[in-house]
Amino acid sequence: MTIGDRNLDRPWVSKVRVNTQAVLKRAQQVQGCKVAKKQWQAAWLLKAVTCIDLTTLSGDDTPSNVHRLCMKAVQPVRHDLLKSMDMHDKGITTAAVCVYPSRVADAVKSLKAANSSIPVASVATGFPAGQTPLKTRLEEVRMAVEDGAMEIDIVINRTLALTGQWAALYDEVRQFREACGHAHMKTILAVGELGTFTNVYKASLVSMMAGSDFIKTSTGKESVNATYPVAIVMVRAIRDYYLRTGQKVGFKPAGGIRTAQEAVVWLALMKEELGNEWLSPHLFRLGASSLLADIERQIYHYVTGRYAAYHELPMA
Amino acid sequence: MANSTSKTVYDIFQSMEYGAYSPSTAATARAWLERHSYSLGFFMDGKFVCPVDRQTHTVTDSTGGTVCSVICAKDEDISSCGSSASAGFKTWSELSGHRRAKVLLRLASTLQRYTQCVSELCDLCQSPCSLPALIRLTQYYAGWAQLQDTLMPEWIPRGVVAVVVSDDCSFHSIWLKVLPALAMGNAVIMVPGVKLAPPTLLLAQLFMETALPAGVLSVVTGDTSVGARVAKNNQISYLTYSGSQQDGEVLAKQTAGWGLTISLCLSVSAECPFIIFESADIDSAVDGVIEAAFKKKKDWQWVLCVQESVLDSVVSRLKLRITGLKCVPLGSESDRTLVDVAVQDALQQGATLIQSCSPPASGALYPPTVLCGLAPPSSAAVSPPPGPLLPLLSFRSAAEGVALGNRTPHGQAASIWTEDLNLALETAKSLCVGSVWVNSHSVMDPSLPQCGRRDSGNCTDGGKEGLYQFLRPSPSPALPRSTPTSLDYAAFGTTASGFMVPEGFDPSSVTCSCSQYVGGKLCKADSGCSRTVQAPGGAVLAHCPDGGRKDVRNAVEAALKVQPGWLRKSPAARALSLYSLSDHLEKRRREMAASIQAQTGLSMEEADKEVELSISRLSDWAARCDKQSGGMPPLPQTGSALSAPEALGVVGVVLPDAKPLLSLVSLLGAAVSMGNAVILVPSEKYPLPAIDFIQVLQASDIPAGVVSVITGRRNQLTQALANHSEIQAIWYWGSLEGCQFLQHTCSSPLKRLWLHCEEVEGNDGGKYWSHSSPSLQEEMWREAVVWKSVWIPTA
Repeated sequence: MTIGDRNLDRPWVSKVRVNTQAVLKRAQQVQGCKVAKKQWQAAWLLKAVTCIDLTTLSGDDTPSNVHRLCMKAVQPVRHDLLKSMDMHDKGITTAAVCVYPSRVADAVKSLKAANSSIPVASVATGFPAGQTPLKTRLEEVRMAVEDGAMEIDIVINRTLALTGQWAALYDEVRQFREACGHAHMKTILAVGELGTFTNVYKASLVSMMAGSDFIKTSTGKESVNATYPVAIVMVRAIRDYYLRTGQKVGFKPAGGIRTAQEAVVWLALMKEELGNEWLSPHLFRLGASSLLADIERQIYHYVTGRYAAYHELPMA
Repeated sequence: MANSTSKTVYDIFQSMEYGAYSPSTAATARAWLERHSYSLGFFMDGKFVCPVDRQTHTVTDSTGGTVCSVICAKDEDISSCGSSASAGFKTWSELSGHRRAKVLLRLASTLQRYTQCVSELCDLCQSPCSLPALIRLTQYYAGWAQLQDTLMPEWIPRGVVAVVVSDDCSFHSIWLKVLPALAMGNAVIMVPGVKLAPPTLLLAQLFMETALPAGVLSVVTGDTSVGARVAKNNQISYLTYSGSQQDGEVLAKQTAGWGLTISLCLSVSAECPFIIFESADIDSAVDGVIEAAFKKKKDWQWVLCVQESVLDSVVSRLKLRITGLKCVPLGSESDRTLVDVAVQDALQQGATLIQSCSPPASGALYPPTVLCGLAPPSSAAVSPPPGPLLPLLSFRSAAEGVALGNRTPHGQAASIWTEDLNLALETAKSLCVGSVWVNSHSVMDPSLPQCGRRDSGNCTDGGKEGLYQFLRPSPSPALPRSTPTSLDYAAFGTTASGFMVPEGFDPSSVTCSCSQYVGGKLCKADSGCSRTVQAPGGAVLAHCPDGGRKDVRNAVEAALKVQPGWLRKSPAARALSLYSLSDHLEKRRREMAASIQAQTGLSMEEADKEVELSISRLSDWAARCDKQSGGMPPLPQTGSALSAPEALGVVGVVLPDAKPLLSLVSLLGAAVSMGNAVILVPSEKYPLPAIDFIQVLQASDIPAGVVSVITGRRNQLTQALANHSEIQAIWYWGSLEGCQFLQHTCSSPLKRLWLHCEEVEGNDGGKYWSHSSPSLQEEMWREAVVWKSVWIPTA
């Protein structure tokens, strides 16, 4: 699925206004949205599981830990736990597996062996800093796609965003879009390095105009990760884009999301700001590595009424 | 609830509902009620009193179940409450500010301990209250109690204060009056509406844990008549009301003539504009609308005003955001009828609806609804109906937006949304409201004064400014308690002129015929009639015009033209004009003294002293022009808050007989220096100094129309002032009947009244005017301004 490309709409970008304190206040409110206990919590947590891009992005990744990750993605919650909720046959898997370009082939192999259709996502374009020449960044995208990545998480060039060169940024993202071919493109804005909410909003709009399927908050490698206020700004840009063009772009917060409680707040934020339609892996992803373990523990607690010991749940 | 518990994980996984929270059982609150056998009495003299054979009222919860019952006070209950309060006042007012502050601080920590019980009881009685806000309010006014002796040494408490609050008011607004009243050393009798009675009684009991002397705080409950009956108790020296306009008006009329100063805060149901400019962060503004407009218990009636260029994007976002909202419970079944009628009306006038879902066929529930495409004359925009209905109007330019915001008779608050700081500040200045919230809404903090304009009230609550309603300068006499006479309000001041050709005409003295001063011109009365000005001995000194309502109308028209310009002048320029007035008075010093002597029969020496004092008084006011300012109250949130005094507009002043020149310049100076225009009605008995002062006015560079002088009979002119709605305030020195008439007439449309009964005050020989106490001048300038608070939050 490729979103129809648009030209850069400069007046739209330049008119953007964001009131920081109002956004902060809204973020507070969203965090106050409560989901009822018991089966409501369980259902919301399972929904969160299906939206996870299960990620490993480390220097010491090898085929064996990527394989483990893939198996966890296929069976994210213990089968007996799912069964007791009558959810074992509802296709509960994570949304994708996310690795570095060099590990794409390993992941594709593991998932194929497990007969799974879970897509493999790859970060690319000089992740995380994006400070490599455009030529090599484009080449990186093409190679990851060749290796079988169905989704590419690109990082934008912060230099261009910070200096207000929106046209140049648009061109770069357009080139990445073309390099992705049929793969989904998620554009990482690295919000921690964009300075202001207004810049975040503008970068979101430009990325969407250039054909991103998703916009993503951070690489997980900046000092500031996915925060609720910045997410509010980005989903508002998504809403704005939808209202003007009728196209639905997805959102992916990533970095620092570790607890089940946070996952529920993220879902509530999407529901509040964009509605139920954005509560599916087509339009919402959670980039996380350790989150799944906590969610599984909470589900264990719901099913059994006890808190799990770490050894009771399979490691990823 | 039954079907929701049977929902499976998979059902919820697909529907992604939040699920319903089971309502709290309010166990602690119910335990407290049980201790009182679910039947609450009054609280007086430090304890609960529950007399038998009283009429009872039932308090119900949101499901219609009975919470408890409260009883309705009889006159004997009120009088015993009055005497215990007056004993309490003696003990309490003699305590030092520090001791009183201690008590209030103890209350803050007591409230912290009983947070759960108080908030449960508030929720149970359907008057939710934020306890942290209440605790902060308590701490804030504890601070003022501590500082009172140092910062307000010449001000004394008024005595026993009655705080009357109608049912639809918030619980917080009771304490916004009670706490400053207590802090300043008053005793308080609270008369809460039925719904508010249980939590009020609970708090009164908690107060006893703080070692508050018995009698200082009492609670009397009952129906709407109790407020007026409490007012008639002559132990009370001040009554302040908060709540709905309807009940407030009735109360004001019922208490007219009892010699009781009363002030009204009619914030409930006040219509407030929510203005979204094209330069706004539209998404945040829409979030603000959703949060503010569709609450179950709305503090204000918002009317959404959107600049045309962003109307579509606001509407499309409203549509998206409103879909997730649930139906809002209405106050009662009868509200549902009102809502249905309002929606039908709007549809007939071509409005379109944005609704979260279609309304249920019947019942006290309604979905959040935006009425789009309304115009200012639509009935839903003129008087917004109850329930979650939000009228939406559009405007073209920023100036039109302000005009739209100012179009109602209300003036409580406004929320404006723009990222343009200049536009925000200009709009905040031009809106005729007491509170302006920039890029936010409904921010309340104890340090921000709330001061309604027009029909939204005539008192200032909150902040340091909110203390003065509970204080009076120690040299200033209180309004004496009286009983109303049977006054024909329609006939007051309408008797025909009693002009007669004087007998025994003295051919040796040729009397001159004087003019009055309207809009900068000397003129005759519109009626053409005149009256004689007589010396104390009976000799005819002059003939002055017998002014009436047409003259007042002309003066108001002239004032309205010139007052905005006078206000826009820099304070320094206003100061220069007043200095010139003072200089010209000095130049005509001898003539003025002679005029005072001829009119009042004082010795020349004393008359000269009065002129001398008048010159210096005018210079005082000239000097104060650019010194009296508001401030930037520090708030717990980040951002900037401003509280600034603003001119009232046109002030009508009915001058006293005492010190005819000094009183005139004192009041003129106070009003004019703060940017008001003023219409002076000189003393009926001693008008000559005022008439001669016209020449001083003419010679000075005070712009024409800022000051008008209309001579004539006091009652006629009082009646004319009272019946002109553009006059925002009347300062009155005169008869008891005049006070009664004004209290009755000026309750709708509401005016600010500053009343004095000369029959009682007159015998101090005008010492009040020559007194040099700074508190007297402070009182005058505080009467001459209204307060505006502007809140600009930042990250």
